[in-house]
This record gives sequence, C-alpha cells and structure tokens, in this order.
Amino acid sequence: MNSTSEHSFAISIELSLPSELGYEKVARDAIGAFARRIGFANERVEDLKTALSEACINAIEHGNQQAPGLRVSITCSYFDECLAIVIADQGKRPFAKPTHSATISEKIQGLANARGMGLSLIAGLVDEAGFIDHGGSEGNLFRMAIRKHPADIATGERAPIMD
Amino acid sequence: MTTHSDSSSTTDPPGDRVIELRLPSRLGYEKVAMDTASSLAKRMGFTQDRVDALRTAVSEAVTNAIEHGNDEQVAMKVFVLLMARGGELIVSVADQGLQVLSEERTLFAPKIEDALAGPERGGWGIWLIRELVDEVEFTTAPSGGNQVRMVIHLEQ
Repeated sequence: MNSTSEHSFAISIELSLPSELGYEKVARDAIGAFARRIGFANERVEDLKTALSEACINAIEHGNQQAPGLRVSITCSYFDECLAIVIADQGKRPFAKPTHSATISEKIQGLANARGMGLSLIAGLVDEAGFIDHGGSEGNLFRMAIRKHPADIATGERAPIMD
Repeated sequence: MTTHSDSSSTTDPPGDRVIELRLPSRLGYEKVAMDTASSLAKRMGFTQDRVDALRTAVSEAVTNAIEHGNDEQVAMKVFVLLMARGGELIVSVADQGLQVLSEERTLFAPKIEDALAGPERGGWGIWLIRELVDEVEFTTAPSGGNQVRMVIHLEQ
C-alpha cells in the first residue's frame, strides 16, 4: 500500500483515557499501532511510544494531580509525513517551567530530585515538543511532532523543547 | 472528544474505567482498536488466548463498521468504547450508519458448504464475533449508526 499517496490529507485518531498511572501503556499501544499503520519505522515507533508515555505520565501526575475521575485526551494527526500528537489534561495544576534544570550528575549525586527528566527525554526522542499557550484555563496542552523520516540524520541533533 | 477542552466529557462511573477511541473509516486502522483492546485486556489479567479472541472480534466489528456502516468513507468515524467493569471487559463499536445492518444479517449463520460452493465468501464476521466473545448485542447507537456491544468475562 502506498502510504504517501494514501495520506495526501490529514488523517487522525482520538483517544481518551482515565487519568490513572498504568493507562499510559494503553496509549502507547494505541498510538504505536497508528504510527505503524501510517508507515513509521519500528525505531521511530519506539521513540514515539517512549515520548508519549512520559507525556501521559506528566499529564496524570502533574496536570491532573492524580485526582480520581479526570481524563487524559490524546489527538493524533498525520499529514505531510509528520505525526503531530496533542496530550490534554484537565489542568488541576498548570505547567510551570522549572527555574533550574538539574543535570544528570546532580541527580546521581543526590543534589536534585532523581525524577524530572521527562521533558528532556521527550525532546531527545521527537522532532518538536512543547506546551501550547492557550491561556491555561482549560488544562495543559502538550504537543509533540515526529516526522516519518528524521530531520537530524545529517546533524545528529534534535529540536529543543519549546516553552 | 473532538476538542481538547472537553476531556471531561466522559466521566467514569465508580469502579469502571472507560477508554474512548475514534478512528477514520479506512481499512487497516482496525489494528489500532485491536491493540488498544488487547492492551486493556492484558492489564485486566485476561489470558493470551482470550486476548487473541478479543482482538479478532474487535477486528471484525471495526472492519464491518468501516466497510458497511460507514461505506469506507474515510471522513466517517468509527467509535470504539472500552469499559473495564469488575471482571468483565465491554467493547462497543459504533459507526455512522450509512448502511443499516439488518436484524436478519445479525442472526445469519453461514454454512461452510454454501460458502465454498458460491461466489460470495464474506458474511462470516458476525458469526465469528458470536463465537469469540461471551455476549453480543446489536443495537442502534445514540448517533443513529449501527452499534455492536461485546462482552468478555475474566473468569472464563
């Protein structure tokens, strides 16, 4: 099947999950299947699944504060060889950019929280990532984009987190 | 679920866990529903053979929705709702009803001899679903489309 001609327009799926740790695995499996269907290579699919897990855990733990009954919504749109994913929480706690990003050395030495590497990890796995500024009244929106064919083959670099 | 701001549109009943999925009506995307259902079923503790049976049933239901209910018009959506409720997993698949599924067709029991003798090899999907899951119900979705509700029980 020729996936290029097949997707000359945007094709999308939507997923809504309970805001509960563990359900990020369901999101991984669903969105991974979508990425495979539209022709992404296995390596890209695995990168995407890891990045999506981190983004979902952020939404569950931070945005929704693990409050029972809340939801995490995911929208995936594929167009022009690029898969864009928006993860929405219900924003019990708006995202706040950390004033200081601890290094791995600081974490290993116990000088900083061992966690908190999610956004950096995501930035290393996808081509674009960042929170969408939408006024912040209705929850956090985190957007990731991953191209079918990496743009960094020549440079070995990825795009930084956009805040 | 079409906008990000209405992520509260689904509220899980106490003890239930609900997953909603919307798919384009194009063959091949049933795999997304299959992998989503199997992921939830594994999380609930279903054995691999039950997971495999569920995957096949979901595949048939979504394929029917794409091919028949939505007439393979890619802009039409297939709605899949998965609910973990105690020891059972409920999967509802709904289309937008461009073709209405007749009651006669939902009760059709094909014979292998007829299938081999005639030119038409299709028509086994609904029969297969009935064989693979514990409960099946064909109804009309609130949106007016066809809806199939399938249930598998954890203890079997």
